[in-house]
Amino acid sequence: MAEVDDGASAPVSEPLDLVRLCLDEIVFVKLRGDRELKGRLHAYDSHCNLVLGDVEETVYVVEEDEDEEEVVKTIHKKSEMLFVRGDSVVLISPQAPS
Amino acid sequence: MSFFGFDATLPRDRGHNTSAPGFSQAADPFTGLSRHGDDDGDDALDFEDTYDGLGDQLDETDDVFNDDTFGGDDSTAANGKSVGKDFDFFGQTAKVSGAISEEQLRFSRQQPASKAPPPTSTLSQPASKPARSGYEKYKEPESIPDMRVDPNLWGVTPKQPAPAPAPAASSASGTQAGGRKMMSLEEVEAAMRAQVKKPAQAQPQVPPQQQYQAPPQHQYLHPPPQQYQQNYSQQPHQQFPVQASSPSREEPRPAHAGQPNQQHVQILQRSQPAPSQPTPPPAPSQPTHILQNPNRYATEQQRPAPAVQHPGHQQRHSGSRHIITHPHQLANLSEEERAAFLMEDAKRAKRNHKIFLLSKDNGLMTPQDKNFITRIQLQQLVTATGNPNEHGTDSALSEDFYYQVHNQIRGGPRQHPGQPLSNFAQTYLFQTGGRHGGMRRQARGGDNHMQRMEQQVQRAVEAAKNKPKNKQLVIEGSLGKISFSNAKTPKPLLNIKRGDNGADAHRPNNAARDRKAHQAAVSGSDRKTVLTDIENVYNTLMQMEDHDRQLPPPPHDDIDPELVGRHMDWREKAQKLNQQLWRQLKVHEPIGATAVHPFIAFLSFSKGKKAIPRVFRHITQEQRTTILTMIVIHLDQLDVVRQAQLHSGETLLTAGIRENVELFSLAVMPSLFAYLSEAELDIVSGVLGLILNINIDVISRTRIGVSMLTMILSRAELIKQAGNAKEQEWEQWVSTYNQFFDALEPSLPTIFPGTVNTGEDVYVWQFLAAIGIGASPDQQQRLVVAVKDRVMETVALAKTLPPEMSSQRLANVNLFMRSIGLDVELLA
Repeated sequence: MAEVDDGASAPVSEPLDLVRLCLDEIVFVKLRGDRELKGRLHAYDSHCNLVLGDVEETVYVVEEDEDEEEVVKTIHKKSEMLFVRGDSVVLISPQAPS
Repeated sequence: MSFFGFDATLPRDRGHNTSAPGFSQAADPFTGLSRHGDDDGDDALDFEDTYDGLGDQLDETDDVFNDDTFGGDDSTAANGKSVGKDFDFFGQTAKVSGAISEEQLRFSRQQPASKAPPPTSTLSQPASKPARSGYEKYKEPESIPDMRVDPNLWGVTPKQPAPAPAPAASSASGTQAGGRKMMSLEEVEAAMRAQVKKPAQAQPQVPPQQQYQAPPQHQYLHPPPQQYQQNYSQQPHQQFPVQASSPSREEPRPAHAGQPNQQHVQILQRSQPAPSQPTPPPAPSQPTHILQNPNRYATEQQRPAPAVQHPGHQQRHSGSRHIITHPHQLANLSEEERAAFLMEDAKRAKRNHKIFLLSKDNGLMTPQDKNFITRIQLQQLVTATGNPNEHGTDSALSEDFYYQVHNQIRGGPRQHPGQPLSNFAQTYLFQTGGRHGGMRRQARGGDNHMQRMEQQVQRAVEAAKNKPKNKQLVIEGSLGKISFSNAKTPKPLLNIKRGDNGADAHRPNNAARDRKAHQAAVSGSDRKTVLTDIENVYNTLMQMEDHDRQLPPPPHDDIDPELVGRHMDWREKAQKLNQQLWRQLKVHEPIGATAVHPFIAFLSFSKGKKAIPRVFRHITQEQRTTILTMIVIHLDQLDVVRQAQLHSGETLLTAGIRENVELFSLAVMPSLFAYLSEAELDIVSGVLGLILNINIDVISRTRIGVSMLTMILSRAELIKQAGNAKEQEWEQWVSTYNQFFDALEPSLPTIFPGTVNTGEDVYVWQFLAAIGIGASPDQQQRLVVAVKDRVMETVALAKTLPPEMSSQRLANVNLFMRSIGLDVELLA
C-alpha cells in the first residue's frame, strides 16, 4: 500500500502534514497585504488558520516621499499571541533555528 | 387724538403707536411710561433712537400740528418751561377739566364703541397696572370669579382698589422695569410719581374711567394661567384671556384688546415670582393641568363660561395633584429649576412609558413554561453532542476534548464520557433553579423539575443511542426539514478526507514503515525525521489517552463475561499502543549507530521534551528505567548539556538555550525524579556507574548535568537513611561513589557558573551538599579544599549585599557547609 511509495521519507500524506511538523517550532508566515509573520506555531487547521506565539510581524508599506519616489517602509509589531485567519495566509515556512 | 388736555404727549404716543402697528413697540405699554419720563425732563430711554425713523417722522408731523390742535396753551402747559411764576393754574385747570368732563361724557356714551378703548388703555395702563398686581397679591382666589361675573362692581365701588395701588405700585413697576431693563429704578419711580399725581388730580372727575379700568382687570386676572401655558406648553394661548373675559364684559374690542393683553401677560410674567406667592393655589392649578394635557386645557379654556371656569379649574386642580406631587413648589421655582423639573418630569414619563412597553409581555410565561423550554434546550444539547454513552466513536470525545483532557489531568469527577450526564444535568438544573430559587416553589416544585429534567435527559440519551444519527429531521406533517446543523456541528462545506494513515487498521503497517524508514535514513537525526517522529509519538500518545478514557467500568464482584471480555480487549489494545509508542520513541535504536541517538534528538526539540511527562504516564516501570538509562548515557550529548557549556569569558547563556534548559528541568526532570525517587539502590548505583563512562567534566559544568547528579546522589542518601539498603548493594554504591568522586574532583573548581556575582549557583551548592553528605571525612576535606575559594568569595560578597540577598547567599553556601558539618558562621 502506501509504504511502497513513501520510501525513506516520513509518512506525509497531505501538505498540511508538513505544517504539522512545524508545530511548536518557529515558522515564517507570509500573508496577503505585504505582511510577514515570524513566530512559534501553536496550532493550525485545514483552513490554514494559525495560532502563533511570540510573533514578530513585519508590514511593508509603500510611501511616496517628497520627490515622489516610492519608498518601502517597514513596520514592525510584536504580539504575544496571534490568531491568523487562514484566508490571508500565502505561505508557511519552517524557520530553522539560527 | 387728544382726550385729556392735561397730557398732550400721550395722544401723540397713541397716534404714533397705532399708526405704526407693524412695530413691536406699538404694543409696548412702557412707551407711555417713558414718554412721561420724557415729559418730566427725565431722558430715560429715547425710543426714537432705538427704532427706525418712520416713527419719528410721524411724531414730527404730529408735533407740527399739535399747536393747531391744542393751541399755544397746550404746548406751553406741556413744556412747562415757558410757564412763568404767574401761571394761571385755575384757568388752565378749568380749561382742562372742562375738556376732560366733556370727553368723559362723550366717552361714557361711546363705551361700546370701538373707538373708546385706545384712551382707556393708555390712561388705565399706567394707573391700573399697580392696582392689578395689588389685587393679584391680596385678593382671595375665591373672589376672582365674583369680580369676573360682575364687572360693574368696580363701577359701584371704585375706591375699593384705591388703597392697594400706591404701595404695590413701586414694587410691581419696579420689577417690571427691571425685567425690561429699560429704565433705572429712579426713573421708574419718578414716572410713577408723575402718574400718581396726575390721576390724583383728575380722580374726582373720572369715576367712569375706573369703570374702564375694571374690565381690563379681568384680563389681568387671567394671565397667570396663561403665562404658565407659555412657559410649559409653549403654545400660543394668548387669546384665552380675551375670549374668557370678553363675554362677561361684552366689550366689542377684541381686535384692539389682543395686543395689550399679550403685553400684560408678559408683564405679569416677569413680576410673577413675587405676587404669585401669596396666592399659590390658583396659579399652580393651571400649570399642573397643562403639564398633563395642554391641549385639553386649551379646549376647555375656550368654553365661554368664565364663572364656571374657575370651579372647573379647581376640580381639575385637585385631580391633578395626584400626578404632580408639588404644585406649590413648581410655582415657587425659579426658571432654571422649573426647567429642570420639567426635564426630569419628561424623563420620568419617558421611562415609565418604556417600562410599560417592556412589561407589556410580563407574566406570559409561567415558571413551568420556562422550565419546559430549558428542558427542550437541554435535550437539544444532548442530541447535538451525540450520545455520550456511545463507545468507540470520536464524536463524543471531539466535542469536549479539552474538558476531558483537563479532567484526566485533574482527575475530575467525570472521568470518561461513558459516565451518565446526570452531573451535567444537575449542575445545569441547579443553576436554572436558582433563578427562582428562594421563592415559594423552591421546596416542592424545584425537586419536581429536577426529576423531570433528569428523566428527560435520560430519555434523550436513550433516544440518541437508539436512533441512527440523521443530518436532518423530518417531522410528520411539517412542511420543512429541521437540519441538525448548528454551532456545534456546522454543515461541512469542505470535507477533506484524511489519509488512511490515521486509521487504526494501518498501524501495523506503520510500524513496519517506521522501521524501514530508519534503515533508509540512517542519520536519524535528520531534522524532518525527528519532527516526524515527534508527531508520531504525539499521535500515539493521543490515541493512548483516548484509549484510557474508554476504560470500561471496573469489574464487579459478580463476574460479567462481557465486561471481562471488554477489559481483555482494552488491555490488549493498550499493550499494542504501548508498543507502538515505544517504537516511535526510538529508545531502543542502536547506540552509536548515528551521530546523535534518535531519542536524544527527540529530546532536543522542545515539543519532544514536553512529550516526556505524557509518555511516562503510559509506559511501564521497565520502560522508564530504559529511558532514564538512555538519558544518562547520553547526558553529555543532550542539547541542554552540550550547548549549555559556559566557555571562558561567557557569563550567561543565550536566551534560547536558557529557555531549553528551563524547559528540560520543568518537563523532563520531574518525570525522571519521580521515577528515581522510587528506584532501588541497585538502579541508582547503575546509573551513577553509567555516568562514570561519560565526560563528567562536561556534565558538571551544566545545570542539567549537575541537577541530574544531585538527583542520583540524594536518592542514594535517602535510601541509606531509610536503612533498608542491602549490604552488598551499599558496598557497590560506595565503590561507585568513590570512583565518581575521583572523576569529579578535577572539575570541582569549574562547576560554578560564571562569577560569584551572578548568583545563579544554588543548584551547585545543592550538588555539593549532596556530595558532601555521602563523602567520607577524607573526601570532605578534599571537597572543602576544592571549593574553599568560592565559599570565601561568596561570604565576602554577602557582606556587601543588602541583608535579604546576603542571607540568601549565605543560606546557599550553608547548604553545603552543613552537609559536611560546618557552618558559615564559623567563617565569619
